[in-house]
Amino acid sequence: MESSSDAPIVTRVLRGDVEAYADLVGRYRDRYARYAFHMLGNREDAEEALQDAFTRAYRSLARCEDPDRFGAWLFRILVNRCRTVGARRARRSRTFVADEAALLDASEEHPAERSAWSEEIERALARLRPEQREAFLLKYLEELGYDEMSRLTGAGVSALKMRVMRACERLRELLSEVYSA
Amino acid sequence: MPENDELNLEQISRELREPVALDASFDARVMAGVRGLPRHVRRGVWSRLTTPRTVKVRPLSWAALAAALVFVAGVAALAAYPSAGEVSRRPVVALFQPTPRAPQRVQFVIVAPSARKVAVVGDFNGWDPEHAAYQALHRGGGVWSVTAQLPAGHHRYSFVVDDSVWMADPTAPRAIDKDYGLPNSAIVVGGSTQ
Amino acid sequence: MRGATSGALVLLAAFATRLAGQDPRLAARLDPQTNVVVGAIIDSARTAKLPTAPLTDKALEGWAKGGDGTKIILAVRQLSVRLAHARTMLGTTSSADEIKAGAGALDAGVSARDLARLRTAAGKRSVTLPLAVLTDLVGRDVPVATATNLVVSLARSHVVDSDLTLFQRNVRLDIERGADPSTAASTRARGLILRTNTSGNPIR
Repeated sequence: MESSSDAPIVTRVLRGDVEAYADLVGRYRDRYARYAFHMLGNREDAEEALQDAFTRAYRSLARCEDPDRFGAWLFRILVNRCRTVGARRARRSRTFVADEAALLDASEEHPAERSAWSEEIERALARLRPEQREAFLLKYLEELGYDEMSRLTGAGVSALKMRVMRACERLRELLSEVYSA
Repeated sequence: MPENDELNLEQISRELREPVALDASFDARVMAGVRGLPRHVRRGVWSRLTTPRTVKVRPLSWAALAAALVFVAGVAALAAYPSAGEVSRRPVVALFQPTPRAPQRVQFVIVAPSARKVAVVGDFNGWDPEHAAYQALHRGGGVWSVTAQLPAGHHRYSFVVDDSVWMADPTAPRAIDKDYGLPNSAIVVGGSTQ
Repeated sequence: MRGATSGALVLLAAFATRLAGQDPRLAARLDPQTNVVVGAIIDSARTAKLPTAPLTDKALEGWAKGGDGTKIILAVRQLSVRLAHARTMLGTTSSADEIKAGAGALDAGVSARDLARLRTAAGKRSVTLPLAVLTDLVGRDVPVATATNLVVSLARSHVVDSDLTLFQRNVRLDIERGADPSTAASTRARGLILRTNTSGNPIR
């Protein structure tokens, strides 16, 4: 996974070199930004959760048991932060305007800044239950095994498998809606 | 309810892995917050430059500059497009060939009773009206046709009559040409291409 | 105008070798100045991992249609923008044909958001032919919003390519016989969707 170990940097930080922490931030920022973004659905919340995670990780760095795997330890903190931020914020309701009910409706127009295809994915993800979304992202974005997911989330393996399955079902529904005449 | 497509997990995973842009100040904010916390061990401070992040900037090449110059001049110089003089002809059915992705033989047909020469031009032959393989033959009664091998995929084409009149294939889907003002048709060879 | 560019083109001489990899037909057909600028646009597109064949074809089309260098450059440049836009809207894993067809649809007035709607509706299936049919409908004066909704609905109903081609043909014939384009398209689409839905399983 990581080409060079986190341990030397962690050691330096623990010895008082605050600025060295920036290296760890740089290492994991982008990768975990994706998880946070897809989990929380918007950039502001994702940045808050991510920043929060980095801060907490720094604060409790001495308790990191395996400095070699700082990234995984940080990620666990992030997963928890995302749960908290997600639960605390009032979910911004995504008005998913139901597409044409009749064949002759005018199409809705709104500016597309990102790829609207990935926006459709975001919308669908946002409509999953949080624990299903979390499980889906851990499996298909982070590509973790179920044992690792279980350690990370505290949920049992079979519960996680069920969540992933339900997430896939729901996404399938949402992403391939069938027009019924 | 019709069978659902399988969830294309691969495609979704790929899309999820697209980079997410964080605010440029993110790192700075994290470090500012962290610096305010108690240090782990006080052992004398030595400052260390934060690694500057490399920002990719496309160099403004002279080619782009020249293109921009021409673009600006071109916008001013552009006159109205020549009107598309599309002559309506009696429709003739063009064939659709729903087969997989190898090149396909496609027949082009147009009715042009007073034509002396008809060629098919398109992105499969460099839009060359003199291309030997795409010269139509008169079959009688004003019907001209030529059959050619077309690679699978989406193509734009047109008929050129008497080296001067551009005619879209009346039976084929229209392809818009706002660039040069002369009509085009579209053909998708090979069924569902992907 | 030529004077303005010739100075810059002296500097462009250094890029000559970079552009050597381009299609030889361009050098053969286009005047040298146009050739260099078009080559630069194609180069940029290649760097951006966009399909470049449509750009070459657009330049050759301009040559064939008697367009001057200015017009050709403008056309190629605008197409490269549309290709990039189409790829963004259709997703980065789209095929070259889909991106080409998407650029054509954008040129016809289809909105960027609607490209993405079509992608969603089509799921795993190619959007190349649906986009070509959509472009055609718009070209036959079906209002863009109506045409888009129809094609999106057809895609959602898992209509296969051969049916889509027949749909296009029928609409064309109806219009040629005097039907209002919007009505013709809506009617034919409704019938096709009903037929597809009532047959139970989607035609594969």
